[in-house]
Amino acid sequence: MSNNEILKPGVYYLQGAQACFEGAIMAGCRVYAGYPITPATEIMEHAAHRLPRLGGRFIQMEDEISSASVLVGASWAGAKAMTATSSPGFSLMQEVISFAIMTETPLVIVDVQRPGPGQGYITTGQEDVMQARWGHHGEGSIIALSPASVQDMFEFTIEAFNLAERWRTPVLVMAEETVAHMRERLIVPPLDTIPIVNRTKPQDMGIASEHYLPYGHAQVPPMATWGEGYNINHVSLVHHEDGNVTRYSPTVHVENVARIHRKIEGNVDAIARIETRELEGCRHVLICYGSVSRTGIEAVLEARAERGIPIGFIRLHTLWPFPEKQLRDLLPDVDVIFVPEMNLGMMAHPIMEALRDRCRRMVSIPSLGSLHSPEMILARIYEELQ
Amino acid sequence: MKKHPMLKYLKEEGPAGPRLPLIMCPGCGAGQVLNYALHAVDTLLQEDALRKEDFVFISGVGCSSRLASHYLNFDSGWTLHGRALSVATGALLANPRLRIVVLTGDGDAAAIGGNHFIHTCRRNMDMTILCMNNGLYGMTGGQVAPTTPIGKTTTTTPYGNVEDEFDLCRLAQTAGATYVARWTTAHPHQVIKSIIKGVRKKGTAFIEILSQCPVHLKTSPVEMFRNMKKITVPLKKSAAGPVEGKIPVGEFCDIKKPDWIERYQNIMDQLSE
Repeated sequence: MSNNEILKPGVYYLQGAQACFEGAIMAGCRVYAGYPITPATEIMEHAAHRLPRLGGRFIQMEDEISSASVLVGASWAGAKAMTATSSPGFSLMQEVISFAIMTETPLVIVDVQRPGPGQGYITTGQEDVMQARWGHHGEGSIIALSPASVQDMFEFTIEAFNLAERWRTPVLVMAEETVAHMRERLIVPPLDTIPIVNRTKPQDMGIASEHYLPYGHAQVPPMATWGEGYNINHVSLVHHEDGNVTRYSPTVHVENVARIHRKIEGNVDAIARIETRELEGCRHVLICYGSVSRTGIEAVLEARAERGIPIGFIRLHTLWPFPEKQLRDLLPDVDVIFVPEMNLGMMAHPIMEALRDRCRRMVSIPSLGSLHSPEMILARIYEELQ
Repeated sequence: MKKHPMLKYLKEEGPAGPRLPLIMCPGCGAGQVLNYALHAVDTLLQEDALRKEDFVFISGVGCSSRLASHYLNFDSGWTLHGRALSVATGALLANPRLRIVVLTGDGDAAAIGGNHFIHTCRRNMDMTILCMNNGLYGMTGGQVAPTTPIGKTTTTTPYGNVEDEFDLCRLAQTAGATYVARWTTAHPHQVIKSIIKGVRKKGTAFIEILSQCPVHLKTSPVEMFRNMKKITVPLKKSAAGPVEGKIPVGEFCDIKKPDWIERYQNIMDQLSE
């Protein structure tokens, strides 16, 4: 790996944290701001090492609030920017996430989840998956991805930037300590096979500065860059298409917030992805995400091989927007849905909401502070189905 | 009717309706500070090799921060309460050529944004911070601020303020800002001169402007404005020691020191060799 250039196509042996920031570099990230926290610090250390060699800038801020705020300013000035934190720091960033949703600011936040509450512990968890969607104040949809491997840490971070730029919104990578500290093979494909998305600017749509509406023109408005003469005013108070905040009315409020909501929730098929295996003729299904899908698939294959249980496997690559329609389109009526999670049953709620008429019952398989073993999941499946 | 010469820098009309007059209360000092800032920018555009699009105005939340809430015919951002300096830092990391003017207040900069204020000065980030200090929280109805004098009654200190006040200029200077000055709204020429100096200065320039809030202090704007000169004393006269009951105004420091971007650029240059 040469220090002064982006990764070349090839095979590497990397830590998840390193693969994450290599993906960011590949996506065009040139500003990183962060605050140290276990188990996310390796991402920022890698960024500190790599960015100044690539013409980018790294800064260690005084806290997580200012770190996330730096991304906002960098994004408005034209850069792709990211930070990484862990659960307690993620709580502090909620203020900026809400602000970035309302100002339609593309940026990427990686949450290397540790279990909580409070300082909790520095092991692994999936306890922020609800905070990712509902932690920020106000009615604001979010995009959140869930990586399960070093390869995912690379690819999902690139995808996070692409989604942020495409939909002009903050995107979360809900990693876990397990995937951030894991070391395994990373395959970088030929660079022309990696799609890179850049935000649409008013110049791209032939819009002159005197006709430019920072929150108008399209469902995803084109975003002007500071310094290019468009006199853009970024504002998070309820606003008209031109950013004007005077003449408040409930109509303006609804139009403003509903458009931001619809651009995500109305485009779930284009945004969200799920992965399926062994669904053909299955009578039960295991639905999981993140590193739990690594032990989850082993349990499913074992149950099929050992006892001939017709159980299928679904992995959510995207947690939010929740891929309800995709799940319903793919899943036939089943008997039992198993949901193993490294929390006490969080995504089990939207899964149940989406599929309550498609199953006899749902079984949550919680694990706090450590990853489920395949045996642990398997034992619960056998117990339920004997 | 002849138009005010600075109106060319404001958005008077927009598709959603007129943006002027400002929402500020009658007699508020924020409008004066905006006028002074635009005069300074006008001079800089004439005298320096700067274009209008090089300037970005960034604010937080509060009365003074409303100045960057869609009135300005410049690139601008009306950001989070206390976080304007961090947003400005991000903009500089992405594009160090931008000339950033932060419009903030005493509550925004010294209370909720206090930590960011200290560290922005310490890093010597290249921006000009205009802090309008009215000694209270105006937008929420006149609560106590870190700059409220001891003993003062406000809506949240109904029996008098028991806390000492912050000296924001001393704080900025100690933390590492390269240009620090304090004036009042009654010092238009000095304020304009300081802003010009601040924008030209490489590094953090902090300019505190004592600004009247006639509404919450229940005093006539004219009386408050006249008082500005009475309650202040030139810094030189207070050099020997504080003058009882008077607030020193003037330039606290004007030094030369590399800013964050320059120091980081040196590393980037070494690494690319």
